[in-house]
Amino acid sequence: MGISLSLTKWFTFLSKPTSIAPLGVFRIIFGLMMCGSAIRFWSKGWIDSFFLQPPHFFHYYGFSWVKPFGEIGMYLVFALLILTSFLVAIGLFYRGASIVYFVLFTYVELIDASYYLNHYYFVSLVAFLICFLPANKTLSLDVWRRPNIELNKIPRWMILLLKFQLAAVYFFAGIAKLNPDWILDAMPMSIWLQAKAHWPLLGDLFTQKWVAYSSSWLACFFDLTIVIFLSISRFRPFAYFILVVFHVLTGMMFPIGMFPWIMILSTLIFFPPHFHEKILQAIRYLLPVNSTQLLGYNPLILSSLKNKISGFIFTVFVLIQLCLPLRYLLYPGNIFWTEQGYRFSWRVMLMEKAGTAFFYVIDPKTGQKGEVDNKQFLTLTQEKMMASQPDFILQYAKIIKEVVQSRGLENPIINAEVYVTLNGSRSKLLFDPSLNLLDIEDGFKNKNWLYPR
Amino acid sequence: MRELLSKISIFSILLFLGSCDPGIPDEKIYYDDFFENVADGMIIPRYANFQQQLIDMSDKLALFDSSNSQSLIEIQNQFKSTYISWQYISAFEFGPSQEYFGKLQEMCNTFPTQVSDIEANILSGDYNLDFPTNYDAKGLPAIDYLLFHTSTSDLLEELSNFKRIQYINDCIIDMQTRVSAVLSAWDQYRDVFVQSQGNDVSSSLSILFNQYLFDYERLKRDKFALPAGFATQYGIPILSDTSVVEAKYSKMSIALLQANIISLERIYMGVNEQGIDGVGFYEKLLEYNAQSTVVDGDLALAIQEQFSICKNALTNHVTDLPNEIINHLSEVELTSSELQKMVPMLKNDMRSYLSVSVTEGDPDGD
Repeated sequence: MGISLSLTKWFTFLSKPTSIAPLGVFRIIFGLMMCGSAIRFWSKGWIDSFFLQPPHFFHYYGFSWVKPFGEIGMYLVFALLILTSFLVAIGLFYRGASIVYFVLFTYVELIDASYYLNHYYFVSLVAFLICFLPANKTLSLDVWRRPNIELNKIPRWMILLLKFQLAAVYFFAGIAKLNPDWILDAMPMSIWLQAKAHWPLLGDLFTQKWVAYSSSWLACFFDLTIVIFLSISRFRPFAYFILVVFHVLTGMMFPIGMFPWIMILSTLIFFPPHFHEKILQAIRYLLPVNSTQLLGYNPLILSSLKNKISGFIFTVFVLIQLCLPLRYLLYPGNIFWTEQGYRFSWRVMLMEKAGTAFFYVIDPKTGQKGEVDNKQFLTLTQEKMMASQPDFILQYAKIIKEVVQSRGLENPIINAEVYVTLNGSRSKLLFDPSLNLLDIEDGFKNKNWLYPR
Repeated sequence: MRELLSKISIFSILLFLGSCDPGIPDEKIYYDDFFENVADGMIIPRYANFQQQLIDMSDKLALFDSSNSQSLIEIQNQFKSTYISWQYISAFEFGPSQEYFGKLQEMCNTFPTQVSDIEANILSGDYNLDFPTNYDAKGLPAIDYLLFHTSTSDLLEELSNFKRIQYINDCIIDMQTRVSAVLSAWDQYRDVFVQSQGNDVSSSLSILFNQYLFDYERLKRDKFALPAGFATQYGIPILSDTSVVEAKYSKMSIALLQANIISLERIYMGVNEQGIDGVGFYEKLLEYNAQSTVVDGDLALAIQEQFSICKNALTNHVTDLPNEIINHLSEVELTSSELQKMVPMLKNDMRSYLSVSVTEGDPDGD
């Protein structure tokens, strides 16, 4: 009885009508940012160097069937990404555009796991969420075409869902920083700050130990608490100011591309409805849009079957999002070392890891052994990523095997001598160099073939 | 709230300014002194030296008398010192040397050379050394073949054919033109190079380090492991093939390896062309107080020590590399393993401490 009562309360809370304005603004910002990102990606020539040049790709487990299209295909995919994100921004053919955007963006991300970035994952998740949300039902070309679809209010959970996604990013990034290296040794912050010692004014500070420690702790505190402060109206302007400073600084210090700007603009959703209504008004003022306005809250939006289904989907989504970053707890060993459960967990700028990998192929018939020239198989970025990530090491062994077999060497033995240094500590062998890597199956089972850190 | 915000900004600015106390010893790590030393003390004079060596070779070639074996020996000696001087610039494959009609490395030192192409070119007299098909029929390896591939008496007879002399000269002029262009481009590029800051992918620190590492790995693989049969070709273990060695005909492979190692060691230590020990990677690593993760102790010292070990290992090979591979394979293996030990020191440790970027893209987490 008590449970069902509180569940009812919870549902009432979630379905309470709230202004659609924050969702509308979010849609416009997100669409424009993604459009800009895709154009940036194209203009830097990365379509070619990431998806067309490399002869081999690293896959996410279970997604090895995802392959890049040819040259025309990949450029077409990016043209569609630019187009659909723009359509999302202006709210034209919204549902179709947002679904195509989500599918294509996720496809591109799945091609090569060596380019995994948390913010790409974030974009995929948000793109997934907004496919379901009626973000085009205010100030959009869809409304202009069909004024009767305009909404003034939406149930609160729609905004909360996006806030939850952002909160998850910060909170789990903060949790991830609660580790001995980060807190007790100010690592790898010390190394990173040192590299920026040439900065005017701040450069002097960066070489000092206390700065490395306080930066580490403050970054951790920031991640853990920023969403709380953003949610309390009294602290919100100050918290947002700190957030901007934080992201601008990190954006200047590290080559992290679009991430800071995505976070700065996405977190505007924490501001109250009237803030977003003003933005929409300002846009309306600039555009020759006549405001039909105030159609009121459509109660159908929660009661329909469609919404029950999406309610279920989102509940599962939230549960997955809460569990996935903690899955590393299921694995023994040091997560930085084994990287089991490392991805999809908002582990953002957390470690300084480097590896040197010598791979050897042995022909069992002749006993002939030779070192592999990694450059003949991988790009520099792929090689760097492979040399410190155990699952990539297994994949690389398989890549070599396939090439070697196609060239007539039937049953190769593949060994590797991989030295990894983590947060400035001594380079160690990652595993036994006499292991035949082809005997090891990749999967979600604990990688017990790795030496301890 | 606005008041609070402005107070906060003023406070933070004061905090930043206040910390710039001139009394604190300067612990910042700048690279301009290093870049200056590398550019003015190494890159530019080493290119100039290679250019001068080529001019000298041209001059000697003009005086060549095919009836005089002494004049052949003079050219051969000049060629050897030219090839040695090449080893001192092969690590600088960035900036101008990438931009002028192709990569200097590819233009001057593509080996093994294609003897049949060379002979066909000479026979027809109709060739264009700018064509990519001729990259492996020109440069130092082609001259190595033309000046050394048979006995002195046979060479003298061959070289009485003017076309062969002409071909050698064309190869020299080809290299001279390119290195002159590179050298004069350094006039402009020098300031760009020295003033570069930071460690992103286009910074001087990043390109210098990556090319340095690349030169080391080329030495280890192409010049050593490939002929010795310690390598693979697209994954297939190869048999030792002494014909792919550098400077096959003049048999100076070990001397060239030594020169290459010394070149890299001097860049590391910061020793300029006058022999003065200035600022190199070594000094920077000391400033970082960098610790080796491969052996115990200072990284700066560990790399210095490993250079000595590698140089010593090479001096144990008294003949040329093909002969060593055939007759003293176990020593060759030892040298190879010493050359290998350096790699994680450079690739893991030095790269981490200098925080250089490897490639484009938004790398390294977020």
